[in-house]
Parts: sequence; C-alpha cells; structure tokens
Amino acid sequence: MTSNIQENIKAALGQFSRKQLMELDTCSHCALCTEMCPAYNSSKDSLHAPGVRTSKAVKLYDKKFSLWSKIFGEKEITQKEMDDLAESAYHCTLCGRCRESCPFGFETHELWIRIREIVEAMGTTPENVARLSNMLDENMNPYGQDPDTRLDWSFYVDIDEVPEEDEADIAYFIGCTTAYKGANHEVAFSISKILESLDVSWTVLGEDEWCCGAPSMMAGKVEEAKKYAEHNVKMLEDRKVKKVITGCAGCFRSFKFEYPALLGRKPNFEIQHSVEFLRDQLAEGKLDLEKGDETIIYHDPCELGRLSGIIKEPREALSYLTSNQIEFDENGIDSKCCGGGGLLQGVNNDMRLDIVKIKLEEALAKNADILVSACPACKLAFVDGAREHEIELEIRDIHEIVAKRFGVLEE
Amino acid sequence: MNPFISTMYAFWVEKLPYITIAVFTLGMALRIQRWLSAPKDHHLPKLDIVESIKYIILDVVLFRKTFKRDKLTWALVFAFHGSIGGIIFGHMRGFHLWSASIFDPLGHWWADWMIHTLPVYMGWILIGSTFLLLVRRIRLEDKQLHSLVNDYGALLIVLIAALVGQGMRIFPPESHEVVEYSVVFIPKFIVLHLELVPSYHWFHWHVLMTQLFVIYTPFSKFIHIISGVISPALYGSRRKELDI
Repeated sequence: MTSNIQENIKAALGQFSRKQLMELDTCSHCALCTEMCPAYNSSKDSLHAPGVRTSKAVKLYDKKFSLWSKIFGEKEITQKEMDDLAESAYHCTLCGRCRESCPFGFETHELWIRIREIVEAMGTTPENVARLSNMLDENMNPYGQDPDTRLDWSFYVDIDEVPEEDEADIAYFIGCTTAYKGANHEVAFSISKILESLDVSWTVLGEDEWCCGAPSMMAGKVEEAKKYAEHNVKMLEDRKVKKVITGCAGCFRSFKFEYPALLGRKPNFEIQHSVEFLRDQLAEGKLDLEKGDETIIYHDPCELGRLSGIIKEPREALSYLTSNQIEFDENGIDSKCCGGGGLLQGVNNDMRLDIVKIKLEEALAKNADILVSACPACKLAFVDGAREHEIELEIRDIHEIVAKRFGVLEE
Repeated sequence: MNPFISTMYAFWVEKLPYITIAVFTLGMALRIQRWLSAPKDHHLPKLDIVESIKYIILDVVLFRKTFKRDKLTWALVFAFHGSIGGIIFGHMRGFHLWSASIFDPLGHWWADWMIHTLPVYMGWILIGSTFLLLVRRIRLEDKQLHSLVNDYGALLIVLIAALVGQGMRIFPPESHEVVEYSVVFIPKFIVLHLELVPSYHWFHWHVLMTQLFVIYTPFSKFIHIISGVISPALYGSRRKELDI
C-alpha cells in the first residue's frame, strides 16, 4: 500500500475532534448500545454494532497517534482493517439511537460521520455511495435527475402554479427526496396548499434549489457539503427571505445545525421544519380544519426528533387533525428508526426493508388506520417496506392529512 | 519471614507509592495532551450546570438508560459500580477525608455495622459482579463487541484487587502488633492511615494491586472514571439546547 494512502488516512484520523477522541477513549465497549442498533438487530453481525465501530476506530487511531507509535514508529493500517471500518460505518442509519443507550451519552451521529470521512480518505467508501457524489456534481441532487425537472412534481398534482419569486417572506425548500420521488410528490403538494391557503408571500427556489448537502455529509465529504450550503444560503438570502420552511427532516437538520458549522456563521433567516410552521398556524387558528377520527400513529423521524428535538410539535399539530392519536411503544427520543436514513438504501436495501418491517408491524398491531411521519425519507421507507412485505396500511406525511382535510387530496 | 518477600513487601509499601503517583500524574498529563492535540470542536452546547449534574447522576451514577431497557444488566452494572464506589469511599476514611464519627447518629450498632460489616458485603458484591461482567464480556465477544486487550486488563485488575482486598478482611490479622501503620504516597498530603493491621500477605498484595489500578488508569479504560463525567454533562446540556 502506498505511503500516500497511509498519510491520507493519518490526516483523516487526525480530524477526530477533542470531544470525539475523548469519547473514543472513554468508550468501555460495554455493548449496552448494541441491542438498540437497528442495523445490528437486522444482521446480528458484530461489525455493525456501534461499540465495535469505536473499537476499530480507536485501534486505527492508536496505530498512528499513540505514545507507542511515537516511540516505536507508526504501524500500517491493513486493507482488512479499512474494509471492516467501511463495512461498519455504512451499515448504520445514523439514527442516533446508540446515543440514547450510551451511559455517557456520546454524540454518536457526529462520531459516525467523522468515521465515514476516514473511510473516504481510505478510499473504501461503498461503490453506490461514491457514485452518489458524481450524481450530485452533475445534477445537484442525489437521484441523478435533471435539475430542471425539480418542479415537475407539480404537473402530477392538482396545483395551478408554484410561485418562483425574486423576493418573498417565506421560502419553501422542497428537498430532493420530496421533489424527485413519486411517493412524496403529494407531500410537496400538501405543503404548497397549506402555504397557498395562508395570506403569506412565499416562494420556492426552483432550479436554484440544490441538494441540502446532507448526503455529502453522510458520505464523509464535508467540503462537498459546504459547496451546497454556500449555494443554498446565497439563493435564499438573495431573495431576502425571513423564514425557510422545509418538510424534510434531513434538510432541516442540515440548515439548522450543519450550515452554521460549515459556513462559520448563521444564515440571515430563520429555519423551521414545516411541522413547526403547521403547528403554529393551527394553534393560531389560521387553518380551520375539521378534526377526524382516524386512528393515527406518529413515527418520529430520527433527524427531526432525537437529533433535532422536534418531538412535541408534530403531536400538537396532530391533536388538531384527529381525536384518536396513538403512540409506538418507543417514541420521541427513544423512537425506533425506520431504516430510511444514513444512505443505507444505497448500501444494503434488504437491511433497510428489514428494519422498516418492525415499525410497520407494530403500527398494524396497534390497529392504526394511518401511519404518519414528517420526513420524506421515512415515508419512502414505509411505502417501500409496505410494498415489499405486502402490508396494507395507509402511509402519510402529516401535511397530507391537512390536505385531506382541505378536501384536495384523495382519501 | 523470607528476606526476599520482606524486602518486596517493604518496597510495595514504602517506595512504590511514589512511583504510582508519578506514573499516574505523567499518564494523565499524556492523556490530556493527546486530547488537546486534536482539533477543537466546532459546536459544543453551552454548558448548563443543572442539566449537566442531572444527567451525570441519572446516566452515570444511576444508569437510567440501562434501567429503562434491561433490568438484569442494570442490576449487574449498578452492583459493580455501586460497590466499587462504596469501597473507594470507604478507603477515603483511611486517607482521613472522613471519620467514622459521621455514623454516630445511627447509634453504636449501626455505626459499627457501617464501618466493619458493610464493607465485607461490598467486597463480595464487587467480586461477584466483576466476575459476571467478565463472563458477559467473554460471551458477547465477537457477537456484540470486540474488546481491546485493556478491556480485559481493566476487569482483571479490579477482580484481583477485590479478591486480595477481601482476603485481607476475612482472614485474621497477623499476631504482631503495630500501633500506627501508614502508606505514604505524598508525604503529609496523601497518606493512608491504618488503625488495624490486616492479614499481612493479603494486605501487601492488595496494596500492590490497587497501585497497579491507579497506575493503569490513565492508560486504560479506567480513564472513563475521569472522562466519563464530561460526556453526560455535554449530553445534558445538548438536551437543554434542543429542549428535549
């Protein structure tokens, strides 16, 4: 192996922050997180256990940076070690559930992304994930779709025109998984209908909307993510928007938490997930809707709930929409992952479909009429999972429930 | 007594403590230097003292998260950490950080029980729970965890130190009388005072093993005794920041 690769790996290992290095040193490899991990529970492969990932990572770090290596020389990182770390890093939905079982509360989401950066430096990023980068470069979205088809979803739904203004108070950042995935077109439609029904000036970015950068972050390409952050913030600030709303949990988390770190400053606008916006409108009486009586079970998207703290807002919004709201046994900060995150679909779609089955079956067992979420990646996982496992259950985004109450979406 | 053993015991009690303190201090300095040499964190939550203390108590002292999910494992880890905590607290009396009189309000019988009987039970709990944790680790090895050498090293040191410490308590003291017996780590500052000389051989082996424990701390998983309060403090502050 060339010394150049070893130097690249060393440089990447050297990027563990102080806190992350302390976390790696503190981890007792107690395996208390293992049973909580959706990937491990699906495969029962020890390499997919979160604690094993820290064992592997600290071992590699010590090969390059320990006192021993400083005295007696650095050790070479072998191909097998690189392959194992890549296998471990990408069999993870980045759901952060391991944080909620770790007695020390390590910020595992950030730690696993750092490990993916190391995997990228090793050149062992899985092929499908590496391909994602090319698609992003060419099309500014991770699905390889032509950028000028970003608003094509509006052709398939009953909406007259989606506003593309030079200036507006509110910008609706649609997100790639909503714009390009058929299962989510009605989500974009529903959010647009909600905005249309309110007396607000709003706009979408159209072709000027690029991927939020979350897939690049998840693929360990922080510099690439920065490019998307810079572009999107510029486009939004140029339009002098005061508030950006998005229905995508991944986009929301990027804007709210990653962009300030990537850009070194806070953007000049407020960022809200559309479910927060919806809750506010409902609470202020701006949307007068009839309450239904369907049994609705709400799934907390990991990036929205556990990782962003938006837990009570969707429940409050739902309380205006139905009189019969039920919960999964583990919900809120403890919610089980749907399998739709962390780029797992590109690496091991069977595992993703295996993970989502657990939630679908629990929703069925609880006699839910509708399984509701507030994230297009979760909805996609549920729709794909229901099809794969032949499960009959209505799956909706929370905004689609509003559109149903408006009478503009089929029951 | 065999002169070699006698010299060895004298070294463990009279000279090794200085080495222990020196190695521990150097090891901690190296560990801190290792952390500080890493890049700074971009976004740390604003430290919230109340939330930090709350989650240190809930998650590190009481193992809330483990209790929520697996009562049996919780009982094991709580027994292990609780007994080791109690035993370390008990040892602090020997360093004159507290005195037996704090139990006087409980009455003579209870005070005596707290000072002389409870530590023996604590010792058994520690030995039992350490052994079970070792068995658990071996059983889960290559299935749910990949241990590093020092994961086993740490557990073995605790187990041996606890075994010889318990031997020191349950076997009768030697017949020779000593009015005052001290183990000096830092003269006039860190000194272990013993009011009774326990079983001689067990005592010296216990002194050796506990010093190995201290020496090993900065270089091993024992570091979580120190660093393990920082992460939950940040976790608590992050929860506050996210309003969870």
